[in-house]
Amino acid sequence: MCDIIWCKKCNTVNYLDPYCFWNWEGKINCAECGEVYYIHMIQGHMYRGPEPRPGEKPDIMPLYADKPLEGYKNYLPGTEGRTRPYNCTPRHIYLGHADYRKFSIRNRPMRAWAPQPAAGGVAGAYGFYWDIKKLSPEVWEEYQEKIKKGEVRDW
Amino acid sequence: MTDPREVRLEDLPGPKSREELEDMKAPYEEYCRKLFDVGNEYVKPAALDGIRWMSCTMYIFTPHSVSNLAELGAEVIKIEMPRMGDPMRHTSPFNECYYYPLHDTRPKTGTGIGVLNANVNEYYITMDYHREEAKEPFYRLVKMSDGLTECYRPGTFDRWKQSYRYLQEINPRFIYVWGGGFGYGPKAFGGSYDILGQSHAGLASITGFHEDFGGHPVKHTNWCIDWYSGTQITVAVLAALYWRRKTGLGTMIEFSQVQAATRCTGYAVPLYGRFGVVRQRWGNWDTQLCVHGIILCGKSDYPDEKNPQLRNEARYVMVSAFNDPDFKELCNIIKRPDLYEKYKTHKQRVEAEAQVEIYREIEKWAADKSRSEVVRILTDAGILAAPVKNDKEVYDSEHFRQRGSVRWLDDPMMGDVLCHSSFSCGLLSETPRRKFWDFRPVGADNIKVYHELLGYPMSTIKKWYEENLI
Amino acid sequence: MAREVKEVEIKSRADTLKQRPWPASPPPSREEVAKVYARRKAEEFGAWCEDNLWFHKRFDKPEALQGVRVLEVGQWRLGNMFAGSLLAELGAEVIKVEPPEGDPVRKYTPFGREEYMLKDPETGEPCGLEFIHEMRNKYSVTLNLETPEGRKLYKGLAARADIIFEEYPPGYMDELGIGYRQLSKINPRLIYCWIGVLGQWGPEKDRVSKFGQWMLDPFAQAACSFIHNTGYPDDFLPRGSGGDPTRSGVWLCDYVAGEQAAVNALAALYYRDEKSGRGQFIEVTGAEAMLDILDFDISWYGFNESIKARTGAWDPNLNQYAWNPCKDGYMMIGGQTDRLWYRIGMCIERDLPQFGRLIHEDPLLKEMAARNALQALTKTYTLTAMWLRETNRVEAEEKLMEYEIAAGPLLYIDETCEFPHFKYRPWIYSIEDEHYGTLLYATATTSFQQRTPARVKWLGRPLGKDNGEIFIKYLGVGQRMQEVLKEKGVI
Repeated sequence: MCDIIWCKKCNTVNYLDPYCFWNWEGKINCAECGEVYYIHMIQGHMYRGPEPRPGEKPDIMPLYADKPLEGYKNYLPGTEGRTRPYNCTPRHIYLGHADYRKFSIRNRPMRAWAPQPAAGGVAGAYGFYWDIKKLSPEVWEEYQEKIKKGEVRDW
Repeated sequence: MTDPREVRLEDLPGPKSREELEDMKAPYEEYCRKLFDVGNEYVKPAALDGIRWMSCTMYIFTPHSVSNLAELGAEVIKIEMPRMGDPMRHTSPFNECYYYPLHDTRPKTGTGIGVLNANVNEYYITMDYHREEAKEPFYRLVKMSDGLTECYRPGTFDRWKQSYRYLQEINPRFIYVWGGGFGYGPKAFGGSYDILGQSHAGLASITGFHEDFGGHPVKHTNWCIDWYSGTQITVAVLAALYWRRKTGLGTMIEFSQVQAATRCTGYAVPLYGRFGVVRQRWGNWDTQLCVHGIILCGKSDYPDEKNPQLRNEARYVMVSAFNDPDFKELCNIIKRPDLYEKYKTHKQRVEAEAQVEIYREIEKWAADKSRSEVVRILTDAGILAAPVKNDKEVYDSEHFRQRGSVRWLDDPMMGDVLCHSSFSCGLLSETPRRKFWDFRPVGADNIKVYHELLGYPMSTIKKWYEENLI
Repeated sequence: MAREVKEVEIKSRADTLKQRPWPASPPPSREEVAKVYARRKAEEFGAWCEDNLWFHKRFDKPEALQGVRVLEVGQWRLGNMFAGSLLAELGAEVIKVEPPEGDPVRKYTPFGREEYMLKDPETGEPCGLEFIHEMRNKYSVTLNLETPEGRKLYKGLAARADIIFEEYPPGYMDELGIGYRQLSKINPRLIYCWIGVLGQWGPEKDRVSKFGQWMLDPFAQAACSFIHNTGYPDDFLPRGSGGDPTRSGVWLCDYVAGEQAAVNALAALYYRDEKSGRGQFIEVTGAEAMLDILDFDISWYGFNESIKARTGAWDPNLNQYAWNPCKDGYMMIGGQTDRLWYRIGMCIERDLPQFGRLIHEDPLLKEMAARNALQALTKTYTLTAMWLRETNRVEAEEKLMEYEIAAGPLLYIDETCEFPHFKYRPWIYSIEDEHYGTLLYATATTSFQQRTPARVKWLGRPLGKDNGEIFIKYLGVGQRMQEVLKEKGVI
């Protein structure tokens, strides 16, 4: 085993991301069963380990782990007590999938959700106008509500 | 003939009208504001009105070279693969951020924000070039355009009979640009990206913390080499247009982005050539000036925010005090006047060991202070210091808002879009740069171009569309 | 066993300062390269490109900007210098106006080492390599703009100029009576471009310190969120050891502002000559020019209040698109579309079967866009690095090239200078300079053109070397008068 720890107890693959672990010594937990392993890595190679150290406290958690043999069930980054929180996310929550939005942060409509009703003409041609009243009346109404409540801002 | 004895007002020095007199007397800032008149760009003329350009481009590098022209007023026709579009449309940070629709046939697929700012103000058509039927409309476009930019692997356009070898026969005024990674030579067919430019050309090896400090080479956060090299293509294109005014002749420009990354490494190449010394990374400090670097403060400016970017990261300050009196004052502020005594000359304090010591002492001083405290204390003392800002703070910056470099646009297709490009790359008093729209769905202007410009009947366009030619 | 004879013996620091032979090995021959073209059935096209774009024919061809006269007036920064260089490489006549003591950039040298500076053969005055490398095809004249005579001479030069790149603190030139406001009255065709860090107007315009020190580049990088978004996250590396926001190794905002200044000035020149007959005022700043090319970062905040952060050498928008550590350094691999992404995998799988099992078979990695999720990046790059740690850069490149993948080693400057393709074109080249001897330099990026290629004619210039020629030619100030002016500290 090397840059991954394939936990024999629970059949979970814990991924040791290269920049963090390229040269690293310490203890890391398995994301699923919590088993603690001691590893000593030099230039990306496992110099010692992984050695199980049951009962000891881990120094670090993996960033991501999954179970290829059980339908790729996985632990996303930042799962409490299992994987590392990743502060590099742009918000305190982590999504990893399209964030459908109907309004920008100043509460004006933007076309950022799917599916969109077809609106093109011949050969996929579009004009220079998003007819929101006709295409997405519910968004238009929500917008009017926002105007009434004074939530629509310039900045 | 004018009478030489007559004295005309225009020939006299000094202001010619009341308005001009006021201009001459106005405080400088006010004068600049009035002259650039931010917010009213659209009513002024555009420098490149009347130029038409074809953009057979993908990703960021070559698109940006054309986008620069479009912002300056050129009419640009962007040609994409039918249904698919530019691969850049399928990029989005962590797969989170898309605008819709990409194309009517794919209602659930969006255009990722990776493509933002790269192809502004353009008309979008689709064409599968390599089919024989595409030759005629392609050549028609060439005849009525001033130039073309493409980024396919060398020889591809030649195989399709649309390289400069062929096009110069059709239109001798044509300016043809190939942009890519390498160009003629042993690695001619090597593909290229921004990140390849950064890593291959030496730029990455001098960016980031040295391994002795525990660091690795760092990628610049943006596709800087794509964008920066693209702009240099624009320089070459504008020079070629200038030359064409004299001679009536076009040219071919072959441009490599990898080379452009080496071009900005400053003293690195001549230093190696003359002395065999290989320039290394020096983290957040400067190899040639000290103090001129970024320090870590003890406290964040937003300790209670949920977003870690605010909570943990708002702790860095850029400090600059390399001249003797500035450095002396800085040493006094951090209560280490002995440092000034030790490193009285710039030559002494810019030595590597001295830098390590000096920055360590400044960080010690800042360990119990927040970023804004550090900036305030230094600024009040007349020293140059500024916070390392994040995206939110750039958005909130009154400076960028007043100058129009960050502004909201009502995009005709996508709705409300925040814009930090185009207007920001330079204020021009007579012919300002501007942005009408960012990107459009794949093939959105097929009728406008094939029917209205090239004269194909609607039935032909429908047929081509069904055959996936467009 | 006989002692191995080393080419370079290093016994003291002085021994490290010997000029190396360049190139250490010759570039590939044209015949060898022709075979490369032939393998892709592009023999004829390759030959056509070499005939028409060949670097070594650049002096056989005319210059695009012949007849365009540019003044470059700035200190401390590289923005105005880069703008001037781009036009000078393309044939414009660029005159750098320096104070009598010279632009301080002349004194820049890494870690203060004078042994890295080159001496002017006549005066013995040392000059730094940063300055020499960016002082391309430019004339140097000296003028003290703080004296009335100096300003008068400067006005004379401005009256004959097409373009001025100025980089002084905001309003400084205006106060002296030689800013755009005044010069445009003398020369209405003048295109006047101010370059700076944050702006010459606005609430956070460029400042100078209490003691007169200027704001220089990393300030622009800090102001536009570039630094905040660059570097390794502290999830990867500890803070203080690389896990921090990181500046570019170079003054990148200066370069970006310089090239946009060149674009804007050339567009204004086209507009003047084609249509209006009038010049205009232009302002370009490092922070904003960088903001223009900061991808989508600020727009993303406007989308859903996202604040982009650091991802080190991984790109959060594309998979694969990163460099990762390998046996002897770092290896960059890129390929995002299915076609390329699976080809990378096929290449790796040959040596590391596990890659196929964990990556190719994962249903969550089948869709191109979904591969950009953080967990997908983590998984892909962890397995890729498992392959790379057994592979050195050359092997990795060779293997990936078989699959036509855009891949390349992360090169250090010496390796860049010796890379076969770079030597062949060449992108690194040497010039025998009149004043500074043989210099290795990065060639002009616009050198590869059919009709009007750019070129480097000389590098560096002793301070005030062209006073004699320029002052008599453009101002009619002869030698005696120049001596008087020199005496008075004007030139």
